[in-house]
Amino acid sequence: MEEKKTSAEFEEKAKTVFHAERREDYAVLIIATVVVLLVLIGVIDKKVVDAIFIWKY
Amino acid sequence: MGVGVDLLDYRSWPRYLPGFIVCLIFAWLVLQYDKYVVGDLHRGYREASSVLKAVNEGKAPPTYEEYIAKKKESYEKKMQEFKEGKIKEKPRKPFILKQNDYEFILQNKDIPLKFKIGEAANNYQITYVAVLLLGGMLIRNTIGVPKILQPGTVAARPWIKPGIIILGAYYMWSDVLKVGLAGLFLVVLFVLGTQIVISYWGKKAKADDGLMGLMGAGVGVCGVSAAVAVAPVVDAKPRDFFYAIGTILLFGTLCLFTFPYIGKALNLPQPIYGAWCGTAILNTAQLVAAASWYGHEALLTANVVNVVRIGFIPFCVLWAIYFYVVRPARKAGKEIGAELNVWQVIKEKFPIFILGFFAMVTLNELGAFPKEMRDLLGRDIVKIFMAIGFAGVGLNIAFEDLKKAGGSAFAIGFVAAISKAILALGVIMLMGEEVFKVKGSG
Repeated sequence: MEEKKTSAEFEEKAKTVFHAERREDYAVLIIATVVVLLVLIGVIDKKVVDAIFIWKY
Repeated sequence: MGVGVDLLDYRSWPRYLPGFIVCLIFAWLVLQYDKYVVGDLHRGYREASSVLKAVNEGKAPPTYEEYIAKKKESYEKKMQEFKEGKIKEKPRKPFILKQNDYEFILQNKDIPLKFKIGEAANNYQITYVAVLLLGGMLIRNTIGVPKILQPGTVAARPWIKPGIIILGAYYMWSDVLKVGLAGLFLVVLFVLGTQIVISYWGKKAKADDGLMGLMGAGVGVCGVSAAVAVAPVVDAKPRDFFYAIGTILLFGTLCLFTFPYIGKALNLPQPIYGAWCGTAILNTAQLVAAASWYGHEALLTANVVNVVRIGFIPFCVLWAIYFYVVRPARKAGKEIGAELNVWQVIKEKFPIFILGFFAMVTLNELGAFPKEMRDLLGRDIVKIFMAIGFAGVGLNIAFEDLKKAGGSAFAIGFVAAISKAILALGVIMLMGEEVFKVKGSG
């Protein structure tokens, strides 16, 4: 009985984790796509990235 | 990559936000250090050395104005040659010393201390990766991370993944196929091999199936993700789960902090080191960190091997199903084939974000990214994503989690992981640097 319960708990946990991982994968695909598009259309360029760095020689 | 974080669930965003902002600030501060100390001051050391060399050789040093003019003239000449196609690589803008530093060198016949610090940071590989990981770990285990910030630090870790995807802008399909094929050989030999060896070893040692199943999946393929995937298949108990995860995290953390120095001590070429990380380190975040720590070329190779490795998670689950469910059932004369849907397992467990990586490689192959855009994406932007992710990784290395390593499978898991690392290095070195070199599109 206890073993069955543990197995079911893990099955549930694994499902939740993989559901979250799948959605995490969708999220990172969206983030990467947006960034690449912004670079391709020129919104993000070298100047924008360089502006992040304020401590320079 | 650890357990998944549902970044699309906007109701969780307020919970993630405080810790995520802390990671952003931490990453930003460390990137400032990296750019100034490891980048500018290191270049300054080289420039100062060449000026000092000329002074020590007894050559009459030019005035500061003459020094600048000479530098500019040399750069313009190289630019002209580049435009005429005489040299392939676009020349980098010259590093020009500031007047006070230039005069310091002439007067003291010595290199200013700040440049020496930049050189030391480079020699000892104290790059942004090291500072974020060591600094994060130090913070987590000394002053601690308040509970309100913890969900956000966990949510920062997956930001390594867009970095992995965007890094695809650097590859041609020929690179991915060449290195990927060699990576496939390594993955089958060492990664799946480790899982199979642990499964049989565990049976021989009469260790618990649940624990060994988790350990085999975790040590063999992909750390925590694989262990979670396999847990229900092998009927793991919660205690086994924590032992296995503790062992996987402890081994990964040890690799992360030792591999770059082992690589340096053995003078490993970057592609060899990258392939080694991709094969031997158990977790995407840790292997990407260890490879970035060593250098960009190492990261390019490690990334391809890692993509092949994590693509194997479904097969690792299938092995666990076969070894711990189908095989014993067949021995007992039971039929369970109908319950096993192979395609369903592959579909459910396949890490789909790597499709983004392949899309980027295809775009690059089609010429979507000119050289400057490729450098911007593949170096600068990747570095920013990685830094955010590494901040999350560092702030989540808690000694109390590592202490959970133990149990009867600890020794087997650890010995198997170390053996895998040593044997993999030997085989990779025999295969040679050229096999793992990512040439890119120049």
